[in-house]
Amino acid sequence: MEHDFVLWIVVATALAFDFTNGFHDTANAVATSISTRALSPRLAVTIAAVLNFAGAFISLEVAATIASGIVDADLVTPSIVFAGLVGAIAWNLTTWYWGLPSSSSHALIGGVVGSAFVAEGSNAVFGSGVVDKVVVPALVAPLLAFLVGGLAILIAYRIIGRQRPGPVARGFRLGQVLSASLLALSHGTNDAQKTMGIIFLALVANGSLAPDADVPAWVVISAAAAIALGTYVGGWRIIRTMGSRIIKMDPAQGFAAQGVGAAVIMAASHVGFPLSTTHVISGAIMGTGAAKRVSAVRWGVAGNIVTAWVLTLPAAAAVGGLTYAIVALLGSEDVGPIAVSAALLAALAAALGRRLSAGRTLTAEG
Amino acid sequence: MIVLAVDTHLLWQVIWVSLLAGVGISALFSLVILGGARAGDARRAGRPGAAAVYAGLALLAFAAFAAGVILGFRAMITG
Repeated sequence: MEHDFVLWIVVATALAFDFTNGFHDTANAVATSISTRALSPRLAVTIAAVLNFAGAFISLEVAATIASGIVDADLVTPSIVFAGLVGAIAWNLTTWYWGLPSSSSHALIGGVVGSAFVAEGSNAVFGSGVVDKVVVPALVAPLLAFLVGGLAILIAYRIIGRQRPGPVARGFRLGQVLSASLLALSHGTNDAQKTMGIIFLALVANGSLAPDADVPAWVVISAAAAIALGTYVGGWRIIRTMGSRIIKMDPAQGFAAQGVGAAVIMAASHVGFPLSTTHVISGAIMGTGAAKRVSAVRWGVAGNIVTAWVLTLPAAAAVGGLTYAIVALLGSEDVGPIAVSAALLAALAAALGRRLSAGRTLTAEG
Repeated sequence: MIVLAVDTHLLWQVIWVSLLAGVGISALFSLVILGGARAGDARRAGRPGAAAVYAGLALLAFAAFAAGVILGFRAMITG
């Protein structure tokens, strides 16, 4: 039960990451529904938040944590986890600021890889794990979703033909409510697990829990609440990018993108090849746009998004590594994490103060 | 070589299952909408036989679509 204070700092940081994961990824489930007016913005984020919360309780298989097979678990300490989380949060906030959808999971992996590398050297990082779990899925997900999304919308247009637009639009909007709900539930199930796994790992490393213990109820509830709250706050900048800046979509395209996204994610989960929801939905949106007319896709925006995907791992790793170096410099057991988290809290308070003094709200809407 | 770490069998499985599920789910829901819209048109035009056929098509397509959603949900829970 040593270093309890550091443990609670790690838990709080993990929940902060969970919150950013929620508001960063809200767009995956709701952007197309809001864009095609299938749902009002507030109703869309409310449904997504409730289903993210519910999804977190569906499965509790936290044994396989996010970084397993990527870093050597025996070498991981609470300070490494803390620094990795800071790297992931920093990248999530940066990409949110620029309105760029990027993978929160890859940011978390990048952060932990960077901090483990600085702490223990290259032996702590498994290169093949990074290729298997990050590089290959990052290449496959958008291309596959692009192709399937394009095919799906062409077939949908072919089937619908020249029906009256009113009933067709209403029908596809109704379908979007269902596909958005499925995506939100799936997000809660998959992504809240990562935070639960990180907290569980920290509790075990601290000696507070046995490795074979059940996940405490407070861990499940707090992780579910943090991701749901983040989802409810809504990352509006990313919602705007995914909903209207990549393509201007009609309800059929909105449904095809979301339906294909949900189908690809579930199909990939079924065969044991988890893909990033963000990469899949973004690829599907681009595919449904390009199939209608190649010039319908704003390729400049798409290029910025792809650049963010390429930078996710190295950028989060760099911040994670730098944070660990600072923590170690200050004293890796107690003083380091406390000093770094105090500095980050002060920076956050200053940013919020500037935002309030400029007369803006505390939500992620601006 | 690091590339050899990639399981190509799994990759192909992901590609064809995703293709089938993604295109299938969109096509089925489009058939639901087509059946529903044409059933409404036929009813308004006073053709109850055609309306029943299109309503049947919509119903069948919806049943298949719902089965796909349930299958996907199960995959999500157990996956």
